Amino acid sequence: MATNPMHQFQVYKIGPEIEISGVNLSFTNASLFMLISAALVTLLLLLGTREKKLVPSKIQLISEMLYNFIAKMISDTAGKKAKPFFPFIFSLFIFILFCNMVGMLPYSFTVTSHIIVTLTFAIFIFIGVTILGFVIHGFKYLKIFVPSGVPIVLLPIITIIEIISYLSRPISLSVRLFANMMAGHTMLKVFGGFVISLGIVGGWLPLSFSVALTGLEILVAFLQAYVFAILTCIYLNDALNLHH
Amino acid sequence: MPKLSIVLFASTLLCGSLFAAEAGMPQLDPKYWASQSFWLIIIFLSIYLLIDRIFIPKIKGNIDTREDKIRKDLEEAKIFKEEAEKKLKMYKELIDAAKIDSKKVLSESRQKLNEDIQIKKTNIQKEIEKETQKAEDEIKKLKTESLNKINLVSEDIVSSLLKEIFGEDGNKSSIKATVSEVVKQQKVKKT
Repeated sequence: MATNPMHQFQVYKIGPEIEISGVNLSFTNASLFMLISAALVTLLLLLGTREKKLVPSKIQLISEMLYNFIAKMISDTAGKKAKPFFPFIFSLFIFILFCNMVGMLPYSFTVTSHIIVTLTFAIFIFIGVTILGFVIHGFKYLKIFVPSGVPIVLLPIITIIEIISYLSRPISLSVRLFANMMAGHTMLKVFGGFVISLGIVGGWLPLSFSVALTGLEILVAFLQAYVFAILTCIYLNDALNLHH
Repeated sequence: MPKLSIVLFASTLLCGSLFAAEAGMPQLDPKYWASQSFWLIIIFLSIYLLIDRIFIPKIKGNIDTREDKIRKDLEEAKIFKEEAEKKLKMYKELIDAAKIDSKKVLSESRQKLNEDIQIKKTNIQKEIEKETQKAEDEIKKLKTESLNKINLVSEDIVSSLLKEIFGEDGNKSSIKATVSEVVKQQKVKKT
């Protein structure tokens, strides 16, 4: 059973079964690893903000670099109007990053490798951005589906395409993160299984692959957190500054 | 990456017999979907609130104080630099003024000296001329005097000679005339 590459994604409940009006809300291993990631984020930021040195210590420098990195990302993609959303983007990036990174530890669980988790984020962002767009621009926000400078003949088709692409945003956003994490971890597990099944003689090749893949997966873990955050910024930008 | 996942999916499906798989993906089992969403919302909300209320203001405050300090220090440095430049300018002006002054003093004293020398030179020249004039006059005087004396002496000699030879005094006026005639002749001869 343990060699099944999909086994690592199994969710099971920890502790008592919690059911509220017929919905199963039990605490699971997924919840535990969300909690662990959140605790690590809190720990990092707690240590990073504990001292207020003029010349920062290493951990303080990390938190300040994170701050500057995300601040720059937001101002580059969504402009000054997006400043109120800075804490949200910051939390989003750092939480997803830590979930991804915690998932890289052996025997741990990758929270973001579950479509429901990423979909929850993506739907929340989608609904939030859409409401924001309508609040700021009123019905003019519908202009986002009608790009300017398009020939009248093509306009109906383009508008339909724009609507479809807008509506598929939560799906593309969530599937991108989920599929990347799941694929990477499955691949690691498959190669790990090969190491065992090929034994001491032939196991070295998949082992070296595993090592290289681990490096790649760490990169992907960072990259996907970044992509998730920057796409959120871009959607925010669309809602805040109506370009079309 | 999605392509890779598809390939992987296919390979895992192919390997299915090898691993005696539990059917399908646990991700698509809706049993714990509500639970995962629920806990995600709670945990993410709490960490969002923590970050929004506590950590971001702290980090921002820290960064701002540092930037303030750096800006202030830079401004101070700028002021100091300006002051130093002012001082340097003043110093240069002072040196320039001193140089001009010294040049002036030098040229003035040189001119004065030249004038002095000139005056002294002309004075000395005049004195020399005067002295020369005096000397020349004296020489002239001496010359005429000596000439007269010579004439007198010659007359004396001639009269005494005449006395010795003829035993009587000659005519004084004729002797004088003869002597002067001879002297004149001598002079002519000489020239």
